[in-house]
Amino acid sequence: MPIIQAENLSKVFRIPHKDPGVAGAFKAVLRPRFEDKVAVNGISFSVEPGEIVGYIGVNGAGKSTTIKMLTGILMPTRGNVQVLGRDPHRQRVANARDIGVVFGQRSQLWWDLAFIESLNLVAKIYEVPPARYKQLLDQFAETLELGELLRVPIRNMSLGQKMRAELAATLIHAPRIVYLDEPTIGLDLIVKERIREFIKQQNRAAGTTVILTTHDLGDIEELCPRVIIIDAGALIYDGPISTIKARFGKYREITFETLGDASACAVPPGAEIVGAEPRKLTLRFDRTLTTASQVAQAVMNAIEVKDFSLAEPDLASVIKQIYGGALREPVTP
Amino acid sequence: MRRYLTLYWYFLLQRFKILLEYRANFMIGASSTIILQIAGLLTIWVVMGQIPDLNGWGFDEVLLVYGLITLAKSINHMFADNLWTIGWSYVRSGQFDRFLVRPIDPLFHLLADRFCHDGIGNFLVGAALVAKSTASLGIAWTPFNALYLAVAVLSGGAIFIALNLITATSVFWITESIPVTQVIFNTHEFAQYPLTIYHRGIQILLTWVLPYGLASFYPASFLLGREVGALAWLSPVVALALLVIAFRVWLFGLRHYSGTGS
Ligand SMILES: Nc1ncnc2c1ncn2[C@@H]1O[C@H](COP(=O)(O)OP(=O)(O)O)[C@@H](O)[C@H]1O
Ligand SMILES: [Mg+2]
Repeated sequence: MPIIQAENLSKVFRIPHKDPGVAGAFKAVLRPRFEDKVAVNGISFSVEPGEIVGYIGVNGAGKSTTIKMLTGILMPTRGNVQVLGRDPHRQRVANARDIGVVFGQRSQLWWDLAFIESLNLVAKIYEVPPARYKQLLDQFAETLELGELLRVPIRNMSLGQKMRAELAATLIHAPRIVYLDEPTIGLDLIVKERIREFIKQQNRAAGTTVILTTHDLGDIEELCPRVIIIDAGALIYDGPISTIKARFGKYREITFETLGDASACAVPPGAEIVGAEPRKLTLRFDRTLTTASQVAQAVMNAIEVKDFSLAEPDLASVIKQIYGGALREPVTP
Repeated sequence: MRRYLTLYWYFLLQRFKILLEYRANFMIGASSTIILQIAGLLTIWVVMGQIPDLNGWGFDEVLLVYGLITLAKSINHMFADNLWTIGWSYVRSGQFDRFLVRPIDPLFHLLADRFCHDGIGNFLVGAALVAKSTASLGIAWTPFNALYLAVAVLSGGAIFIALNLITATSVFWITESIPVTQVIFNTHEFAQYPLTIYHRGIQILLTWVLPYGLASFYPASFLLGREVGALAWLSPVVALALLVIAFRVWLFGLRHYSGTGS
């Protein structure tokens, strides 16, 4: 039974069109004209309980708008969405009890209140039973290292501290689904790492379903076995991260450490030189044209090789290829 | 209902914790309204010093009208000030989204989010004016009169809140509702004085269209023994009806909420 089911989900914003100047303002009042902005265009997918799904796309692709429809904030223009068997917009309050939402840089906590006071208030709003509240608070305080933050008002926190506080507040009612809209934006590596670890742990221990939008491919590689890629509001890929890597990462890089002069080696067919130093040679080859062993053999026949290593394509270059139009028609994994 | 009351109390406690932290801010806010009120009162005092009565209403009688509407307005000020700021501090900043993913009514959340202490000053001024004028006019504080006053003030507060709620709803289309709210809200100034001094059109406006008069002139007339017929009793009825209408309008607007682009 899917926990989230989106069918042909679309959102069209009607933006009032204004001509410049006073005359334009008058015209806008007398005969308003609207421009339609299609932010999300016929997206369908479903998510099983306990999954972590990465929802990715460039700026303006429609990620946040999708999240807003899934959480019940916005009503879809077309199509429908079911979360835990409910319509999240019509049954917003019931839905709200079961979900947690983090909006990137926007805090849900009260700016001037000490963090613990904010947290108490959130727990009251969600009617978290006191015993459970205490237990979760202790647990989060440990994994997110909140101890010394509890008495600090949000306004005095660094970006990373704010995000840790935000995550604790979002999960304090033990939601079954969390939506994280760019949770690691602007954070340094150590904080990112801790946050990823926390998300992973929540998913493992509590079976929390996670939908994550991000720009950070590190988030995706570490957290999301499955990704949904959207572009200009439309779904262009939905499947395992390994499949896109295999399909789009048709290049491999192979690096040789040589004993003799590396430049003496002729370039094997299907490969090209990416980097050449006196004792080091890096080649890139197309896996559809040749194989690693063919390339390696050709090089080894020419010169003495001390060591060599093969690198996976990194996701960044793969995603770049996809946005660059490498994906004309949707792929099925 | 019980849950919302406890929650409101909890929001209020947190709010006062913040206010205590900014004690100076609190005092300035609460007293600035008193100073503003004194400026308004000086006007009445000067005008009434020139003429013995305003269309048959003496100084203390005018003060009673003025005091009643000040009390009603202070209720709106204390408990519903976020209806003013909904545009820039909630909708445009995206904070309103947050209310929609919490398991409580978003309007309740909006109002509970900020009790406005500036309104306390208004409340004190209004209470002082009513106390002073009733004392001077010899209106006894019988249980009946006290109850009547309380109902009148609460109804008046509800009328202010309902009208502000209707105008605040425009935020869902134009993302900044202050100009609309301002225009409607400002008409209450007419109702700071006895309505009989105005042209008939304005009287009708303030009785039947934007019924601010029901928060001041009519209850004051009743307490002073001036004949206003059934209108002396209409405030709670109109207030209730207006609240229901305003809430419906709000719900209609909420369906058109489309958030911000960022
Ligand atoms: N409330 C809104 N009104 C008008 N246009 C919007 C609104 N929200 C988003 N958009 C537009 O819809 C598109 C998708 O936005 P969004 O979902 O925020 O993208 P992402 O989160 O992927 O960056 C953008 O072009 C954005 O400008
Ligand atoms: Mg976004």
